[in-house]
Amino acid sequence: MSGEKKKIGVFICHCGGNISDYVDVEKVREEAEKEPGVVLAKTTMFACSDAAQQEMIEAIQKENLDGIVVASCSPKLHLYTFRAMAERAGLNQYRYTQVNLREQCSWSHRDDKEGATTKGASLVRAGIAKVRLSESLENSRVDTLPAVLVVGAGVAGMRAALALADLGLSVHIVETENEPGGWTAKLGPAFPSNRDGAELVRNLREAIQTRQNIALYTGAHVAEKSGSVGQFSVRVRLSSGESLQLKVGAVIIATGFDAYAPAKGEFGYGLPGVLTLPEFRHMLKTARGPLVFNGRRLGTVAYLYCVGSRQEPDEGHPNAHTYCSRTCCAAAVHTALLVNGLDPEVNQYHLFRDMRTYGKNELLYEEAGRKGSVFVRWDPGDPPEVQEEKGRMMVRVADLLDAGERIEIPADLVVLVTGMVPRPNQDLVHVFKLPLGKDGFFNEIHPKLRPVETVISGVFIAGASQSPKTIAESVASSLAAVSKSAALLLKGYVELEPFVARVDTARCTGCNECLAACPYDALEKTTEDGRQAVRVAASLCKGGGACVPVCPEGAIDLLGYSDSEVTEMIDALAREAVHA
Amino acid sequence: MTARVDPNLHREIARFGGHDVDLCMNCGNCTAICPLSEESGGSFPRRVIHLLQVGRTEKLMQTVDPWLCYYCGECSESCPRDANPGETMMATRRYLTARYDWTGLAGLFYRSAAAEIAALALVGLFVAALFVLFHGPVITGHVELNTFAPVHWVELGDLVMAAALTFFLLTNAARMAWMFMGGTEMFKISPAVYLRQVPVFLSHFFTQKRWRRCGSGGSQKRWLTHVILVSGYLSMLTLVLVLLRWFQTDRVYAVYNPQRLWGYYATAALLYGTVNFMVSRWRKADPMHRFSEASDWIFLVMLFLTALTGIVMHALRIAGLPMATYIAYVIHLAIAVPMLVVEVPFGKWAHLFYRPLALYLTSVKEAGASRVKAPVEAAA
Repeated sequence: MSGEKKKIGVFICHCGGNISDYVDVEKVREEAEKEPGVVLAKTTMFACSDAAQQEMIEAIQKENLDGIVVASCSPKLHLYTFRAMAERAGLNQYRYTQVNLREQCSWSHRDDKEGATTKGASLVRAGIAKVRLSESLENSRVDTLPAVLVVGAGVAGMRAALALADLGLSVHIVETENEPGGWTAKLGPAFPSNRDGAELVRNLREAIQTRQNIALYTGAHVAEKSGSVGQFSVRVRLSSGESLQLKVGAVIIATGFDAYAPAKGEFGYGLPGVLTLPEFRHMLKTARGPLVFNGRRLGTVAYLYCVGSRQEPDEGHPNAHTYCSRTCCAAAVHTALLVNGLDPEVNQYHLFRDMRTYGKNELLYEEAGRKGSVFVRWDPGDPPEVQEEKGRMMVRVADLLDAGERIEIPADLVVLVTGMVPRPNQDLVHVFKLPLGKDGFFNEIHPKLRPVETVISGVFIAGASQSPKTIAESVASSLAAVSKSAALLLKGYVELEPFVARVDTARCTGCNECLAACPYDALEKTTEDGRQAVRVAASLCKGGGACVPVCPEGAIDLLGYSDSEVTEMIDALAREAVHA
Repeated sequence: MTARVDPNLHREIARFGGHDVDLCMNCGNCTAICPLSEESGGSFPRRVIHLLQVGRTEKLMQTVDPWLCYYCGECSESCPRDANPGETMMATRRYLTARYDWTGLAGLFYRSAAAEIAALALVGLFVAALFVLFHGPVITGHVELNTFAPVHWVELGDLVMAAALTFFLLTNAARMAWMFMGGTEMFKISPAVYLRQVPVFLSHFFTQKRWRRCGSGGSQKRWLTHVILVSGYLSMLTLVLVLLRWFQTDRVYAVYNPQRLWGYYATAALLYGTVNFMVSRWRKADPMHRFSEASDWIFLVMLFLTALTGIVMHALRIAGLPMATYIAYVIHLAIAVPMLVVEVPFGKWAHLFYRPLALYLTSVKEAGASRVKAPVEAAA
């Protein structure tokens, strides 16, 4: 394609001084004007303003431009703004290139205006080079299947399944355990409503049974996945040993959490009077009156907060993690209220580091205090010690609220308030290629703006598989995942950007080197005119480009980022470097 | 040293009127706003409440903090949880008074208004019965009180009572010192130090001077009212215990005679103070009077009635009504004596004694500590 004949327009943005205070935009404009093919170069105060966009549209139409460069801010901000503008002007949106003059130039070189101007001119030159070779591209369209796979039948997964079913989508729930319900079914009354978790789960399960379009597989595992957004194919291994091939448009991962398991000896864990909070909750489930522990009526309970949390792992705490599970404080004070309800005579000492009963859970904290729970704060540099003395537990702690004076609390029971840790989901990580955050939980794209989406299109995360959450928060995030997947699937199709690999079949020898390089299995063998070749499945290709350099024939190119485009850009940048 | 906690302390304090200890979250707003806490180098009321919550009985006995508080109530007004720290400090003083008393009567009276009233009635009836059985000749022509109730007999009764009260008060004070100073630790300080600090006790006993800096609004007035009440009380005590022969005369002196003037002052001060505090408690006007335990009312009412019956009797005698004067005299004593016997060693009156004592013992502790420390520093 002959780039030289293209008519190119360049628009350089002041960004109201953000750019023009450090980059001499007029000089950049003059430099741009000298480039071959540039028929129009203008500066503008705010390129993103409606008036400026209208001006650009008129210029494109009047000058009959074949390509434009907007030199303004980061494409993260306005890529889609200007793509839409180009389309409105009747120019293919991929004939537009954005040059980042602000983040990559003016903001980063405030100390060197001259250098910033030189660099700005180079960047614009590179943008022009790219546009010169750019082609008109069309988004590809993939039909979506109106079905969702939900992995995990805890409270988040079950609630998501119900909501999806009620939106008219088919749902498959895959649960590894033999019973649905997860932790919610196991821990007794749940805060803040005090409704029994088992009852919550029973209600959800009954509701699921009334929906024709939900299938629940327990004792089942996700084994394999192929396809991509809108058209996933997932193989599920059932408890019977048989396999099931599910065709779904989207996947919601709601696999929940594991309870932190203290090491033996960690704050006395392993002694007969030391339990973790989940273990204590389990014990409370069947209690109806005064509690009996180790054959004695429970007199004093000491809760030890932050066990395993907010701590670097070390010899005594090999499994510790540095994050805060933020739900355990509320769970502990709620437990104290349950105990008080069963037997108001029980003395309850809470040995905490910082009390984090955020939101409405503050009411639980206040109520626990009102009912006689005593709160003793300790310093992480001087943690409490738990020992067995004469058949009872003795907890010694430096009381920060009394200038660090040491006190000892004889207790019948010490409850280690443990947090949530990520499930070892290696199979899932492998099957779905999901990234994990530094704490080991599944990672979202953006914690505020894209909180349930993952980098894998069509795969969403929900509940405590993402981070420690309360039941209410888990359900909220699962419903967010429902609306994201429903928005995707109910439209009937997804548009995919055209930046995929293209094989020049004339040059392809069918050596298959590229097949091994692709992490998305997006390349497949085919025959072209009776000889071996490779074909790209556009819906699977992520445009990662791993196949391009491994091809010994140079037969693969990436649309939108072709070899020639990138080479031209580098040349344009290098040209200036030589001059300077 | 690691201190063992007593999980029942916060339940115990509730029985003395500290019902809101459990509401406290130890934020420290009370301590920040307290006008006396900082200058005392203390951290009250917050730390006292924390000691109560955690169950640090022994440390509570050794801290002066409860006695540093004069209950201006600003803490209670600023408490974000309505935990009423001021009232908790008050309840702590009641609790401590009960703990100091070896007879257990103080604790009984604080926890049961019925018991306190029964004790007052019992002593009152006993006094009345003594007069019914052993009074002197009843002269009806004119008022001759010293014939009906010979002053030397009454004085003897007075002295017996005073001896008993002193015995209880001093033994309880000794117990307080023992607990406050940490048992045998108290003997490690030289008696000379104890002696040198006596003026501290006296100045606090007579002036309650720290109270004047307590609180921003109306504290001066409350302090002054209290000082007037105390002066009336001490005047009355001096007149009837020390100067009875001079005070209880059949001869009516001229109105400007010191005997009458002093008596009038005592009566007026008592009436003014008690009425003032009763009205305030009734209206719940001051934060310190928002919560009134039975023990608070009983003491005020008994003091008020003592002064009232005294003045009524005096009026009847001036009016020349013999029978009415004698009956009023018996009623007066049947109120005054139980007021003294029950309230001084076992009731609310005791705070008059324990507060300066606590301040005195603190001075002793500090003086003793600096004395002990000095050679160590020199050696180092």
